[in-house]
Amino acid sequence: MLTEVTPHAIVVRATDGDRFIALSPGTVSWVGARVSPSALRPGDPVIVRQRTQQLVSGGASADGGPTASIAERIWARIGRVTGAIVAVRGPDLLVDTGQHGRAPERVVIAEASLRPVQVRFPRLAPGYLIDVIGTRRQDYLLAVAPATAQPPYLAAHPPAAPLISGQFGGPISGTAVWHEPGDEPAGLLGIGYAALDPETEGSRADSGTSGQAQPCVQLPYLSLGSAVRIRNECTDRAAVLPVTSCSASARQFCDRCVACGTSPRGRVADLTMAAFVELGGNLEDGCFNATLTLAD
Amino acid sequence: MLAVAREVQIPLLAVLLIGSCAAKAGRVIGARSIDEGIGPTAMFPLPLRRPAAIAICGYELALGIGLLLTAVRIGAGWPADAVRVAAALLFWTAVGALQELRTRRPGEGCGCFGDLSGTPVNWRTISRAALLGAAALASIGAPQLHMLSSPGQAAGAIALTVAELALLAALSPEIGQVMVRLGHAEPCELRRVPVARTLAALRSSAPWRQHSPYLISTTPTDVWREGCWRFVVYPGVLASRRVEVVFAVYLMGRRVPVRAGLVDVDTPTPAPLQRRYSSLTVYKKNTILQNKINIPLNGPG
Repeated sequence: MLTEVTPHAIVVRATDGDRFIALSPGTVSWVGARVSPSALRPGDPVIVRQRTQQLVSGGASADGGPTASIAERIWARIGRVTGAIVAVRGPDLLVDTGQHGRAPERVVIAEASLRPVQVRFPRLAPGYLIDVIGTRRQDYLLAVAPATAQPPYLAAHPPAAPLISGQFGGPISGTAVWHEPGDEPAGLLGIGYAALDPETEGSRADSGTSGQAQPCVQLPYLSLGSAVRIRNECTDRAAVLPVTSCSASARQFCDRCVACGTSPRGRVADLTMAAFVELGGNLEDGCFNATLTLAD
Repeated sequence: MLAVAREVQIPLLAVLLIGSCAAKAGRVIGARSIDEGIGPTAMFPLPLRRPAAIAICGYELALGIGLLLTAVRIGAGWPADAVRVAAALLFWTAVGALQELRTRRPGEGCGCFGDLSGTPVNWRTISRAALLGAAALASIGAPQLHMLSSPGQAAGAIALTVAELALLAALSPEIGQVMVRLGHAEPCELRRVPVARTLAALRSSAPWRQHSPYLISTTPTDVWREGCWRFVVYPGVLASRRVEVVFAVYLMGRRVPVRAGLVDVDTPTPAPLQRRYSSLTVYKKNTILQNKINIPLNGPG
């Protein structure tokens, strides 16, 4: 959470104490749209991608001198709702996110964003899927941008994955998306995975949505805590991350990411916000082209 | 022989058209939504996709039935030719539509045979539509179906039909899908395997007999899966120290490989990992995988 904003720096409260992060002319900040850092307000929940730069003042050697954290990008109050529409009242939607034990989320589409959202999501009707990014308000998400295009099928009937015969191996390409922390600790580095072993992770793998099917990309069965390697094909960054949750959206959406070229269909990873940002993704883009491999 | 070749086209086209409509209907029934339809209908404006999908399927079914009915005495003459012209029109329109789909939506399948036609449109799909269009044109003016007069003619008709079917199969990406479905053997990583079966395999294995004296309970404290392997953890005591006995059981085959390792419970987890992954057992699991049992994740090794 943001505790202080000055023209040259911000102070962010994390679990291990307050952190001072310098701003630079190149710092990009987002609060519903790209804004100047002066638009940030104390109290805003923020995600910051920072780089560490060595300070060369005071005659210290370049190798061992003090360092400073500089903010590359700051996202404030950003949120995302992904799931099946259960009720519609004008621009006000109720969305079942498919997370076990979670009540449907309220989404209000900002007036100025209604047309762009409707272009990508032409069927704002119960049963169809929606995935929007916006700013968090008291008890709802003010949607400002579509995160993907609406699949033509109903949420309960995603298409079947192509069959694979024989040996299964090698990296699996697709799209990596992000989700809000929910019950997870803020700053957790992990992924939501669509193919948790139903025999051992049954309660988590079973979604509240009836008729929930397998993901449209064939993924090996894993468990919570399994380690996978995720590579951002757009930035060439990779990390080994634990599976920390079951992703309902990754089982429902059979979409592609076009962040850098066109990815194969299917969500291979539903990253925590911190992991998505650490791998070089921009939260407002919604996805990056990714490759998943089982970590050795 | 040319006359026989023209006659053969009529039942062939009729079967393909009826089959195409049935496959599309099967897909819609499976998805419980007509919007699920793929192929050229994806290029229509959204409100028109549903009527377009219904119209195409209905048109195919009507033409298929019409071709069969008019091939015999009932509709001889101009009704037969009208149906065959309509069929030719459908296939040549499909050539144009598929070319357009390939340009505008290169990732889309043609949807010609429902679920089987998910492969993106390519020159084979377009050539097949052109071949069927040519076949429909060739059938215009062909006489009504009748019993072939000699065994030689029958053999010629069969040879022609087989050759044309082989050519159509070569131009059909759906054949690959059919072959995959017929010979489908699901990889072990994707196969659901009950825990009870894993435990039964474990208890009949040599590592179980070797390590069971150390166990203080035969109820597992943790069970998890990594692709083709399932891990089962039991509490145990070895030389007065608390240990966890971890078994890795391969999930495919009859006499499955089983491996075992001992993890000292009292060894503390390194601090950075504890903080990073909080309550998760990632560290424990990775230690087991990498150091204690050291198995490859996608094979019995």
